[in-house]
Amino acid sequence: MAITRVTQNMMVRQSLTSIETNASRLAAKQEELSTGRRLNRASDSPSEAIAAMRVRAESAELKQHARNADDGLGWLNQLDSSLTSMTDQVRRARDLALQGANDGSMSQAGRDALAVEVDQLRESLISVANTDFLGRPVFGGVTAGADAYDANGVWIGTAAAVNRTVAPGVQVQVNVNGPDVFGPTGASLFDDLAALSTALLTGNTAGVRTGIEALNGRLDTLTTTQADVGIRAKRLEGVLSDAVSKELTLTTRLSDLEDADLVRSALDVKLAEVAHQAALATSARVLSVSLMDFLR
Amino acid sequence: MAGTFGSLGVALSGLRYSQVAMDVANSNVANVGTDGYVRRRVVAETMGGTVPALWSRDQNSAEGVRVSGLQRMSDVFLDARVRTEHANQSYLDTRVAVLDRLESGIGEPGGSGVSAALAEFRASWQNLGNNPGNAAARSQVLAAARTLADSFQLQGRNLDTESAELRQRIVVDVEQINVLAADLAATNANISDATLNGIDAGALLDQRDRLALALSELTGAKATLRPDGGFNMQLNGVQLVDGREAATLTVATGINPDGTGDGSPVTYQLTSSAGTSAVSPGAGLGALTELVDVTIPNYRAGLNSVAQQLADDMNTIHTSGFDLNGVAGTALFDYDPADVAGSLGVLITDGDLVAASGIAGGGLDGSNADLLSTSAGVESSYQRLVAVFGTEVASAHRLASNQQTLTSQVDNLRESLAGVSIDEEMVNLMAAQRTFEAASRVLTTLDSVLDTLINRTGLLR
Repeated sequence: MAITRVTQNMMVRQSLTSIETNASRLAAKQEELSTGRRLNRASDSPSEAIAAMRVRAESAELKQHARNADDGLGWLNQLDSSLTSMTDQVRRARDLALQGANDGSMSQAGRDALAVEVDQLRESLISVANTDFLGRPVFGGVTAGADAYDANGVWIGTAAAVNRTVAPGVQVQVNVNGPDVFGPTGASLFDDLAALSTALLTGNTAGVRTGIEALNGRLDTLTTTQADVGIRAKRLEGVLSDAVSKELTLTTRLSDLEDADLVRSALDVKLAEVAHQAALATSARVLSVSLMDFLR
Repeated sequence: MAGTFGSLGVALSGLRYSQVAMDVANSNVANVGTDGYVRRRVVAETMGGTVPALWSRDQNSAEGVRVSGLQRMSDVFLDARVRTEHANQSYLDTRVAVLDRLESGIGEPGGSGVSAALAEFRASWQNLGNNPGNAAARSQVLAAARTLADSFQLQGRNLDTESAELRQRIVVDVEQINVLAADLAATNANISDATLNGIDAGALLDQRDRLALALSELTGAKATLRPDGGFNMQLNGVQLVDGREAATLTVATGINPDGTGDGSPVTYQLTSSAGTSAVSPGAGLGALTELVDVTIPNYRAGLNSVAQQLADDMNTIHTSGFDLNGVAGTALFDYDPADVAGSLGVLITDGDLVAASGIAGGGLDGSNADLLSTSAGVESSYQRLVAVFGTEVASAHRLASNQQTLTSQVDNLRESLAGVSIDEEMVNLMAAQRTFEAASRVLTTLDSVLDTLINRTGLLR
């Protein structure tokens, strides 16, 4: 049988190696436990690190999309309430026109009074059409000005879509350009109302009837637009509620990838500690024994 | 039969031998902690044994002992193996240490670093897209752009600093290699002289092995044993140390005398009386050279291409948009094509000039900002770059730890043969002590026998 020669130096070196190995394992586990992270550098696990970076980017994107959707909802809610109030007022104007269209029972003085109320409704509608959200007129497109319509009901906005990105490649328009719902300048709701007022003042019942037809058409457009706005708002709300659950999934995924399993890490630290102590204790016992202890 | 006092000579040789044995045990114990010390063993041989002359009638029944030599317990093949494994280990350890530093400089994955700055930058564009008229959102975009450019620059600077440090280290290492080679040549000369004079060259051989190991760890040079006991060292087949002569290693290209890089790869040459030849050292110096010439430039090139991709993409989209006043956008980033990551800067300082709008002639449009926030490609390029580097680091770690197993194994084998065991030396010492005591007893006995013969024989009283 071959006897391997074992020298004190070998034992010392062996002890040092095992003590150092155990200490570095203990330190690594301790880093895991104290930072709470398993992936502290890319080389800890390159594939997981890249996945973690992706998830991080995706999560940041998702949060931004939720913020965008939130902002878009503000616009759409503002549009919705403006359109509701406008529909009411246009309906009131149409009722007034219907009263004015009765040739027999209505005196000219009565029609004059109706005309005054129609004028007031027109002004009020112009002011509602200038409603803003955070300083920007919601019917003004991308205008840098404060108003979408001037005092004469002429559109002074810049036609363009205001979009909010709510998912990669998915954009939702959150504004309505004034002319799309109120008609182009010269043939707009406000022009209709001005014509109606004139017809009432001049007792032109045929003109009043034309006005009624026109207002009916405007009411249809308003309702359709409002429905469209409602659908878009619904979509943004969907995005928001999706974002909450997706965010949770991504956070869980990121935690799976990056975070240390605390229970496991604590156990690992304990194990490493025991191994370290064992190495220390063994070294202390083995290294202190020598033939000298037994020679006199 | 031996002469009257012949027996005394035999006992004396025993005393002398055990003294030498005790001395050797003593020096082994004294050198138990000496680095590179190889334990010695006394080899004894019986005196006599000479070729008998013709007609010789020698009937000598007692033969003394003498020390025929001190055996140095080493194995040249095992030593060669130790040098090879140590050279490999030194290559991998050097690589791991530098790669670790570089990796912590990159700082991915984490909340700081390029990828976090990139996410911040993208988000700032989205915020601007939501509020194109907001001055705060505009300056936020510019701040985020500057942070991003800075984070690229920081990484670039880290790489440059590391390269500069490595070049300095190469210069120092080359210096050290030349000193070691000169020492080995001097040791070779001493060994040759000692062998000629018949002096025990053990200490010189220890020194020779130590120097050869250090040279192997630094350069990966191979040693061959000379007939006179010295070592020749070859680097790529060129003599680094040839007997009493040491060649001079110099950096041929790549590093200026002041330690800065000259733009070309680092190469080396060996100059000796035989002439000058180009060499490419391995082991520690090889690892440093590879890091300076290949690893760091490769990562740097990857970083540059990511930075350039970002700057070009952003500039293209930015110039196709319009700023707050409706004027066409100008380039957002500028860089020096020779060093993109290190020179990436933001050109625009006035927030009004940020081209968020896709519509000419003013207006609070945010469509271009949206395009800028979503332009694809940069993130995945950067992630790939980091992942590839991470894989390289992880692989270097794995290789180094595998090599460590091998290195420890040959170290243990060598220690098992050459290392001093105190217990063993104690036993040897005791044996020598007893031998000495026994030889003394023989002397006493002989003395008493001679006393009887000289003083008592023939006395009648």
